[in-house]
Amino acid sequence: MTAARFDELIHPSTRLSLVALLAGADWAEFAFLRDRLELSDSALSKQLSTLEEAGYVHLDRPLRDRRRRVRARLTDAGLGAFNGHVAALREIVDSADSVRALV
Amino acid sequence: MEAQITPQEARAALDTVDRDRLRIIEEIEMPRWYWWGLALGWIALGFISDLGHAWVTAAATLIFGAVHASVAPRVASGRHRTQRLSVSEELAGPDTFLLVIAALIVLGCLTVAGGFAASADGARNPATIASMFVAVIIVLGGPLLLASVRHRAARRAVQ
Repeated sequence: MTAARFDELIHPSTRLSLVALLAGADWAEFAFLRDRLELSDSALSKQLSTLEEAGYVHLDRPLRDRRRRVRARLTDAGLGAFNGHVAALREIVDSADSVRALV
Repeated sequence: MEAQITPQEARAALDTVDRDRLRIIEEIEMPRWYWWGLALGWIALGFISDLGHAWVTAAATLIFGAVHASVAPRVASGRHRTQRLSVSEELAGPDTFLLVIAALIVLGCLTVAGGFAASADGARNPATIASMFVAVIIVLGGPLLLASVRHRAARRAVQ
């Protein structure tokens, strides 16, 4: 069971989407994430850099077809933070639901 | 520790998470070329079998098996439809590969049974006929099989 822990870094909606996509994947290419999130290259780079600095994301740069691709994957710390954040969100929703049930 | 967000905001954030999980689940798929290649190989094997040369049939079966064994592990998990993403095993489910292999075993049995039935009916090329019938099932049923895997993954994800 993951301990609930609200994470301010993950919570902004674009970053939450980015981390949620990565949580369902072993890795995803930069272009895939950019297309799914409908972000510009620079906006996605900025979000990934923030997550990388926090130790939540690792960026690989494998060489393929003579072109360097960027692959992002969630680190164990990133996955733990994401799962904790989702658990915290569920707690907030559940406690509101239980209060409403009592009224 | 606790954030100052409303339950509505928390619910909206959870909806975002669910939506993005489903986006990744939509990527669980096997390439079309796999199904078409398998179907064409199946027909070729049926045709070669009808030629009646046991050693040619045995060699073709071995080659077909070897080629499939080299390709299937990369694509039959359903996690690598494109080279842009690798869906996690946790999300895709660990049994997609086994499901595909089990389906192929059933189709192999169906081909043999169909071949005997066509032969009993007096067909001149029973194995070819049976393999063409199964090839149609492969091309049409393969994507349906993966759709069912996606459906199960989506149900697990939103529980």
